Amino acid sequence: MRNIAALAFAMLVLTAEAVPIAADEMSNLKDPKIIAAGHAVFLEKQCAHCHGEDGTGGVNLARRVLDAKGVFISIADGREKNGIRMPAWREVLTDQEIWQATAYVLSISKTR
Amino acid sequence: MRKSPLATGLLLACLLSSTGLVRAADPGTEDPNNWPQYNRTANAWRYSPLDQINKDNVGKLSVAWIAHGGDITMGLQETPIVIDGVVYSISAGDKVAALDAKTGQTLWIYEPKLDPLNKKVLFSPYSRGVAVGHGMVFIGTVDGRGIAIDQKTGEEKWQVQLTDFANCHGCNFTSPPTVAGDILTFGSTAGELAAQGKIFGVEAATGKKVWEFNTIKQDPKSWPGESGKYGGGGAWMPGTYDPETQTVFYGTGNPGKDFVPSEREGDNLYTDSVVALDPKTGNLKWYRQEVPKDTWDYDAPYEVLLFKKDGKDLVVHMNKSGYVYVLDKNTGNIENIWPISDVKNFVKEINRKTGELIERVELPMNKETLICPSTFGGRSWNSGAYNPKTGLWYNDVLDFCGYLKPVSQKVDPKDFGTGHTGSNDFGRLVMAPDGRKPGKLSANDPITGERKWSVDMDVPGFACVLTTGGGLVFNGDPMGKLQAYDADTGKVLWSFNTGSGMRGGIVSYSVDGEQYILVASGWGSYAALLMPALLPQLEKVPAASTLIAFKVSK
Repeated sequence: MRNIAALAFAMLVLTAEAVPIAADEMSNLKDPKIIAAGHAVFLEKQCAHCHGEDGTGGVNLARRVLDAKGVFISIADGREKNGIRMPAWREVLTDQEIWQATAYVLSISKTR
Repeated sequence: MRKSPLATGLLLACLLSSTGLVRAADPGTEDPNNWPQYNRTANAWRYSPLDQINKDNVGKLSVAWIAHGGDITMGLQETPIVIDGVVYSISAGDKVAALDAKTGQTLWIYEPKLDPLNKKVLFSPYSRGVAVGHGMVFIGTVDGRGIAIDQKTGEEKWQVQLTDFANCHGCNFTSPPTVAGDILTFGSTAGELAAQGKIFGVEAATGKKVWEFNTIKQDPKSWPGESGKYGGGGAWMPGTYDPETQTVFYGTGNPGKDFVPSEREGDNLYTDSVVALDPKTGNLKWYRQEVPKDTWDYDAPYEVLLFKKDGKDLVVHMNKSGYVYVLDKNTGNIENIWPISDVKNFVKEINRKTGELIERVELPMNKETLICPSTFGGRSWNSGAYNPKTGLWYNDVLDFCGYLKPVSQKVDPKDFGTGHTGSNDFGRLVMAPDGRKPGKLSANDPITGERKWSVDMDVPGFACVLTTGGGLVFNGDPMGKLQAYDADTGKVLWSFNTGSGMRGGIVSYSVDGEQYILVASGWGSYAALLMPALLPQLEKVPAASTLIAFKVSK
């Protein structure tokens, strides 16, 4: 029994680490004010370096199909895929700033 | 029985002529069977004198073996080292491997545990190579350490933390140290970081740090007020050690913020410079600043080549601007300055005698200005190669431009992922205004700049070039096309698809009488992130981390 409890606890921890955000933390990702704040973060933190000022840069976001949680996690924890790498921003940006940037990215991408 | 000196000399001469080897005294031909350091020899020519693979048989070149490095993140940017039949390789995450140079079989692997902070910093997790000497393999890590590994066993011998990694905006090492006698010199990243870039001197035997050279001069004329506090600089490519004068030469990085010189109203020494250091003490022998008060990210970390010509000892060094500086090796005095390309507008000209930048183009804040060449430079960091048989220096020239737009920027050294550049991006890339192709392989006299031949490229090269005693030039492009050219004419003699783009080095070595060509294939680096905006076909290039060895089948 104790083993099952320990396993359940471990799974909770693992789940918590894998998805450390709640879906309702930033509910209105289509709010123009939040999108505008996200664009400011996007520029200030030089996301435009690789993605371009309007998202159509070297790593083009405008052509991608993206979802909110995936974008948030990519910004927070970084991304390594197809040989290229994006740094992690958790603890550099607040969760609110990451949600704002997420809102901007979704506004320029193809959403599901 | 003791042979007479004459008999020994005759025997040696016969041996040399029968095997096609060149005299050991010829510059660039030392240790012909190996690739013992980043640019092969102390003069940094990237010339292999081996001639078994040559113009007549290069068409028969075929794969001898393939080895995979593992993690493909940011590609395979290394130049492998090959000594006495063993390849020493480093891939993403500073994973080091020793491989049998005949078969590619792994002999040992060393993988350091990296500071998790490396996930947040700008320059990670790639390395451009290892250094070998004193029975050890040396690396500089992406979390700012120097590490020594036993050359035979792969066991760690010592390690030393050199940069203040967490407090210098993630300044670290993305290139190998330079072996300068008993001292190793490590150059740090810093150009785009809110930090002061340093070069460190370390005892090779023990790992004890013995000196550090700050590439930001402590001088209020050069850096008024607090402007030098986060001045950048650094030296993010390997140095050149000249045993003859016991000098280590480094090219240094750019000042920060990159595009806002109004915040640093001096000449910003020793950024964008060649510095000549005493490796025993770190004392500065001389410096030559190429771009005072840089405005366009034209740093100077590229390889320092050494030449002797007409009784003069010379340094040849390309600045990222595409201008090549020919300097007196002992004083840094200017002998000549010439441009690798005419795609340039950041100045009208550079005075060939004084180095003065004539009619600089300044960048207004919050407005785009077209600048040529782009922030990738007239050439990227990938070394060129010089062949003493042709007298030509082969380089991958970049012929495109970028729009730069400086903006105000808060400084936060704990904001590890944001470059200390004074911009939102690193320049919006565009083709050259005259519509020419975006790059070429160019063969020039390194002293005068006279071009003998060039080959235009639809996708310009970003890999280090190799030239050989067989009269060949090997060059790889980002699409995966590896080609052998006639070193005299530029004619393509052989081509092979490596499956991924090339960003590292191409080397040659010989084991048991057989010559090999070894290629690092694995498209990556910031070029992989940024270049698709200019050349969309690069978006589809598969990543990899592969060493491919070629030889002519018997």
